[in-house]
Amino acid sequence: MKVLVAVKRVIDYNVKVRVKPDNTGVDLANVKMAMNPFCEIAVEEAVRLKEKGVATEIVVVSIGAKACQEQIRTALALGADRGIHIETDEEVQSLEAAKLLKAVVEKEEPKLVILGKQSIDTDNNQTGQMLAALTGMGQGTFASEVVVEGDKVNVTREVDGGLTTVALNLPAVVTTDLRLNEPRYASLPNIMKAKKKPLDGMTPADLGVELAPRLSTLKVEAPASRQAGVKVADVAELVDKLKNEAKVI
Amino acid sequence: MTADQIVAALKTLVDQGKVLTDPDDLNNYGKDWTKIYAPSPVAIVFPKTTAQVQALVQFANENQVALVPSGGRTGLSAGAVAANGEVVVAFDYMNQIVDFSASDRTVRCQAGVITEQLQTFAEDNDLYYPVDFASAGSSQLGGNLSTNAGGIKVIRYGMSRDWVAGLTVVTGKGDILELNKDLEKNNTGYDLRHLFIGAEGTLGFITEATMKLTRKPDNLTVLVLGLGDLTNTMDVLQTFQKQIDLTAYEFFSHEAMQHVLAHGQVQAPFETEAPYYALLEFEAVSDQVMDDAMTLFEQCVESGWVLDGVISQSETQANNLWQLRERISESIAPRTPYKNDISVVVSKVPGFLQEIDAVVNEHYPDFEIIWFGHIGDGNLHLNILKPEGMANEDFFEKCQQVNKWVFEIVERYQGSVSAEHGVGMTKKPYLHYTRSETEIAYLRGIKQVFDPNGIINPGKIFD
Repeated sequence: MKVLVAVKRVIDYNVKVRVKPDNTGVDLANVKMAMNPFCEIAVEEAVRLKEKGVATEIVVVSIGAKACQEQIRTALALGADRGIHIETDEEVQSLEAAKLLKAVVEKEEPKLVILGKQSIDTDNNQTGQMLAALTGMGQGTFASEVVVEGDKVNVTREVDGGLTTVALNLPAVVTTDLRLNEPRYASLPNIMKAKKKPLDGMTPADLGVELAPRLSTLKVEAPASRQAGVKVADVAELVDKLKNEAKVI
Repeated sequence: MTADQIVAALKTLVDQGKVLTDPDDLNNYGKDWTKIYAPSPVAIVFPKTTAQVQALVQFANENQVALVPSGGRTGLSAGAVAANGEVVVAFDYMNQIVDFSASDRTVRCQAGVITEQLQTFAEDNDLYYPVDFASAGSSQLGGNLSTNAGGIKVIRYGMSRDWVAGLTVVTGKGDILELNKDLEKNNTGYDLRHLFIGAEGTLGFITEATMKLTRKPDNLTVLVLGLGDLTNTMDVLQTFQKQIDLTAYEFFSHEAMQHVLAHGQVQAPFETEAPYYALLEFEAVSDQVMDDAMTLFEQCVESGWVLDGVISQSETQANNLWQLRERISESIAPRTPYKNDISVVVSKVPGFLQEIDAVVNEHYPDFEIIWFGHIGDGNLHLNILKPEGMANEDFFEKCQQVNKWVFEIVERYQGSVSAEHGVGMTKKPYLHYTRSETEIAYLRGIKQVFDPNGIINPGKIFD
């Protein structure tokens, strides 16, 4: 069974994000970039499926500037077999990403597509769902457990108040939640082997997809900084403040 | 003076509410991370200014009251323990960053500024304070300087001492001295600044310090390698250092990692089991550096020194890999470890390690030994864990027998019985293994100059 995994290059989870002075976006100059954490979980799940003998080939795809190849190489080091880089320097929004992935799905015909539920930069949580809709595949989103049985995949999903399990016919789209697995580190021997794994480059035009953003960003602002606290002298003052200033009691 | 009289007098010297005598407070502020000595101070006092510290020292001199400094109390040698009815001078309320110069790249801090506070301040100003260790979230600058704290970046950035541009101190006699006045070049006789750094508060109190900052490191990347045996730590170090400036080089044993993993929340780096592990950190500023690191790794594997390895792919992973090393002390703490913090020059580490390992295994086969340390600068932390059910006193007594064996080797290798933890009270009996009697006599002479009445942190380093 072939598995397709999509990964996105985003600002490192640990970096303190700074807004550009002109409020047009986030400052990315000299900022550490890394694979989106939910995408790491997607790669890990695919590798585990391969280790169980369920998956036979893992294809990893990323969309964006040339530097995205770093994240594809990381996925190859973690256990993916080959990479596809759809190169563009333009902004790629959820629907465009889904259309590009649809084109890749048509070419590669994977049985299972695994994506992160969202990327930590734009936090849209849309691409997986859009891809499922565009391709007509079933979708299991926010997966905390993925079990492939014959031509079906059972996806346990984290929902408000508990878990639900959906059974999907393959091919299907799965998006990963945080508790699905704990991604491994890329070992150095595997990083070296990954350099020899094939990585195909293509452009949106090659796939017949025109990038046409439908959303424009008006303004990006940093959250308001937190106000300093105050010390109260006694309980009476505290109660008074809660009643009259905070108006919570 | 009775205890009540002392407390009454102290209350006139500091702000209202800044003298504590509650038993819980006495117990808390009277000790550090060593759990050997029962704390019994008379009072805890919190000055807010250098002038108040001076007033306290003058009072102590006039009335023969002993003072013990207290910072973050994360010390491991009982340098800040008050076990004999002393007054503890705690710097918790002298925690302001008072000045910053972007062009000098210096920051003026009160002694109670917490290490992490200084690191964060530097970062917010696009600079870097490189002295870092596991207790950075609680340790205070005054304590760091009084113990000349080292930590995990010494191989690249040196010890706390190297980052001090100037100091304000109150001497044991009660004089306020402005030392070095933040000058880069100042060859005007004895540099008293460096006497106060590492003095463990025995010459006076550091109340303010001007610290140097540097540029932020770029793209710090962490490697964790599984090693075939103990001496491979040095083979790997030498191989990498030929081509890459490491910002850290740490090692730890398999047993140490098992304790961290059992403690939870941390993942093993790889499945391959190795007796020892090395953690390397460097600035991956270009693809060339990364390629070099890969080539060096291959060389180490081909030489049979390295069994497996991982490299961080993000800052999150780099931080997680660091946890393997930084959580060791915390994870073994429930086993009341007896800590030795020893060092030799780097070139002597392999032979030194083998001898220590052999002697400990031969004489104490029943003890669990945990090895880790900043091996890139010749510093080893040898931790002996208390067997379940053994009484504390019996355990410490046995450890002191081990000490004799260990320190005789240290002496033979011209090493140090305390690389970065200081002498305090726990290493006091062993000072002579590292310092000659003649040298110790000079140390006493210096103490006499600054603290003629012996009121500042008495009984620490030497009696």
